[in-house]
Amino acid sequence: MKHDNIERNVGILLVLTMLAISVGGMVEIVPLFFIKETVEKVEGVRPYSPLELRGRDIYIREGCYLCHSQMIRPFRDEALRYGHYSLAAESKYDHPFQWGSKRTGPDLARVGGKYSNDWHTQHLTAPRSLVPQSVMPNYPWLVKTNLDYSDIQGRMKALRVTGVPYSTNQAEFERNVKEFGEEVAKNLHIPDAEKNLLAQAQAGNYDTNPDNLTEMDALVSYLQVLGTMVDFKKYDDDYFVKFR
Amino acid sequence: MATTSTINKEQYDYDIIRKFTIMTLVWGVVGMLVGVYIASELAFPVLNFDIPYITFGRLRPVHTGAVIFGFGGSALFATSYYVVQRTCQTPLFAKGLANFTFWGWQAVIVFAALGDVMGHTQGREYAEMEWPIDLLIEVVWVAYLVVFVGTLMRRKQPHIYVANWFYLAFILATALLHTFNNLAVPVSLFSMKSYSLFSGAQDAMTQWWYGHNAVGFFLTAAFLGMMYYFVPKQAGRPVYSYRLSVLHFWALVFMYMWAGAHHLHWTAIPDWTSTLAATFSIMLLLPSWGGMVNGILTLSGAWDKMRTDPIMRFLIVALSFYGMSTFEGPMMSLKDVNALSHYTDWTVGHVHSGALGWVAMVSFGSLYHLIPKLWNTQTYSNRLINVHFWLATIGILLYITAMWISGIMQGLMWRAFDDFGNLQYSFIESVAAAHNLYVMRAIGGLFFLSGMVVMVYNMTKTIRSGKV
Amino acid sequence: MDWILWFTKFENTKPLALVIFFAVFCGVVFYLYGNKNRSEKLESYKNIPLQDDDN
Repeated sequence: MKHDNIERNVGILLVLTMLAISVGGMVEIVPLFFIKETVEKVEGVRPYSPLELRGRDIYIREGCYLCHSQMIRPFRDEALRYGHYSLAAESKYDHPFQWGSKRTGPDLARVGGKYSNDWHTQHLTAPRSLVPQSVMPNYPWLVKTNLDYSDIQGRMKALRVTGVPYSTNQAEFERNVKEFGEEVAKNLHIPDAEKNLLAQAQAGNYDTNPDNLTEMDALVSYLQVLGTMVDFKKYDDDYFVKFR
Repeated sequence: MATTSTINKEQYDYDIIRKFTIMTLVWGVVGMLVGVYIASELAFPVLNFDIPYITFGRLRPVHTGAVIFGFGGSALFATSYYVVQRTCQTPLFAKGLANFTFWGWQAVIVFAALGDVMGHTQGREYAEMEWPIDLLIEVVWVAYLVVFVGTLMRRKQPHIYVANWFYLAFILATALLHTFNNLAVPVSLFSMKSYSLFSGAQDAMTQWWYGHNAVGFFLTAAFLGMMYYFVPKQAGRPVYSYRLSVLHFWALVFMYMWAGAHHLHWTAIPDWTSTLAATFSIMLLLPSWGGMVNGILTLSGAWDKMRTDPIMRFLIVALSFYGMSTFEGPMMSLKDVNALSHYTDWTVGHVHSGALGWVAMVSFGSLYHLIPKLWNTQTYSNRLINVHFWLATIGILLYITAMWISGIMQGLMWRAFDDFGNLQYSFIESVAAAHNLYVMRAIGGLFFLSGMVVMVYNMTKTIRSGKV
Repeated sequence: MDWILWFTKFENTKPLALVIFFAVFCGVVFYLYGNKNRSEKLESYKNIPLQDDDN
C-alpha cells in the first residue's frame, strides 16, 4: 500500500488514524481489567451503607474532589501527615473514583475518625471559625437541608448493575453475610435501605442535632468512614508492595 | 501534483462559520470571566457568598467547560469548517447537519453549565456533564464527523491537506474518549444522577486516559490543524516542511494515547503502566517540537513580520508557548519530578501555559485572520490587536509565574522535615503561604480577560462594518 | 493454540512491540525522505492553502 493512497483516500486515512490512536489505550487499560494483581486482597473493604452513599453523592455534588485528593502516595511525609498509603482495594467500590488531582486542601483518604462529628459539622458550616487561614467555602445549607433519600433504592440498584454487591434477595443477602459478616450485610440489603439509613443517622447523630436528618448527617457519615475500613495492623507492608 | 482549480468563494458555506466564530468570542468572555472569579475565590473565600450555585466546587467545571468546549470547541468547529472547505475547494457537505452541530453544541455548553451550578455532576474532571448531556454530545459529534468526512469526500483537490488530518484525528479521538469515559448507569430514566460503570483503579485509568488525551487531541492535535492552515496563510508562504508535518502527525497521534497514566504516578495503579506512560511522555517531546519547529520556521526569511504584523505575533508566540509547555509536560511526567509537582499549583500553571499560551493565542491569531474574511471587510483596528497581544502576554506570564512559585513552594513545604524528623509545616501553613500568589494569579487572569474583551470590542466593530 | 500464550508474557511482547513500532517508524521515514521524486511531490502539497486565494 502506498502512502499516496492514504493521503488520497479518506477511508484509509480514517482507519489508520483510528488504529494509531487505539493501540496505546488498549495496551495500558485493558490489562487492568484482567490482571488479578491490580487489586490487593484485604479484609474490611465493603460497599457504602445507604447513608454513606448519599453522603458520597453530596461530596461529589459539591465538587469536593476538585480541591481534595483521596490518594495517599507512598512517601514518608505523606505517611506522617495522612497515614498508610492508599491501596487500590480501598476504592474498589468507588463509582466513580475520587482520587482527585489537586490538593488545595489536604488529602481526605484517611480523614475518617480523625475529627469528631461536632468538628466536621462546624468546619463544613464555617471553616474559618476553626481554621482561620482556610480558603474553603462555607457550606451552611448542609445543616439546613433535609436529606432527600426517596430514590436511595434506585441509587443502590444502579450501583448493583455496575457490580457493587448490594443484595436484592435472600440468596444475595446470604452471600454478603459470608463475605462481609451479618452486621454489614444487613446494611447492603436494598429492600431495607430506608430503614437502615434512618437507623444509622439516628445512632450516629452526625450533625449533632438528633431531631432531624440533614445532608450534613449523610456527608459527615461518609467522611467518617473514609480510610477506616482496612486494619493495617493485620498486614505486613511487604504484602502490598507486589501489587505496585 | 496539487491542482490549482479554485471555486468561487460565494459557494463556500460561511454562515455556519460566522455563527461558531461569534460564539467562540462569547464563550471566551464567559469562560475566562468565571475563571477569574474562581481564582479570586481561592484568594478571598468570602466571594463564595454562602450561595451553593457559585461555590468554587460548582463553578470550576463551568469554567473548564466554557473555555475548553465553549471557546475551544467553537473555535475548532469554526476553523475546521473553514479549512476543510478552503483546502478541499468544495462547499460543506450536508449544510442542515452542520447547522445541527451548531445548535446542538451550544445546547451542550449551556446545559453543562446549568447542570454544574445545580450540582448535577459525574465527578470526573473535564467530563462533569451528566448522562443526558453526554448522549447529546455523542449525537452532535457523529453529525460533525459526517459533515467533515462528507466534505473531504467531495473535495476537488486530490490530496487531503495535512491540517485536515489533524482535525480528523481530533474528531475520531474525541469520539473514542468521550464514549468510553462516560459509560455509566443512570439511577433512572428521569434522574440526572448516574454512577460510573468502572470503579477505583480502572476508573482512574479510564478517566486520565480521557483527561490526558482531551489535552492531546482536543487541545493539541486540533489546534495544530488550525496552525497548519492559518500560519502559512497569514505568513503568505507555505509551511516549512510538508514531510515533517506528515512524520510528526503519525508520531503524535500514535504516542499521545500512551501517556495518560502519568497523571497517576505513585498512586494505586501497577508500576508498569506508570513507567510506560513516563517513557512515552518523554518521547512525545520529539513530535511536539517537530510541530513547533515546522510552524516557526515557516516564517524563516520573513522574520520582520514579527515586528509588523500583530496577528503573526500571536501565532508565533502561541507556538513558543506550545514548545515550552510540551517541554515542561514531559519533565513533570518524570516520576521524581512528579512526586514534587503532583497535587500542587504547578500542574495548574502547566495547564494554563498550554491553554492560555498555546490554545487561546493560536485561536486569537486565527480568528483575527478569519473574521475580516468571513464578513468581507477590513479589521477595525490593528492597534487594538496589538493591545490585546500585550494584555494576553502579560496575563499569562503573571499567571504561570505565580503558579510555578506557589506549586514548588507547596511541594517543598509538604515534604519538609525538621531536625527531629517531624513534619516542619502543617498543611494550612502551605495554604496561607500561597495567598499572595493566588492574588497575583487572579490579576494575571484579569489581564488575559481584559485582552479578550478588547478583542470582542475590536471584532464587533469589524463585523459591523462587514458587507454580508 | 499454545503459541498464543507466547504473547501473554511481557518479556516477549516488549521487544516485539519495540521492533514493530521501530520498523513502522523507519518505514515512514524512508517513505518520506528516501526518494527524491516523491519528496518533491510531497512538498508540492504545502502550497494547497495558498492556491485558493481570492481574498
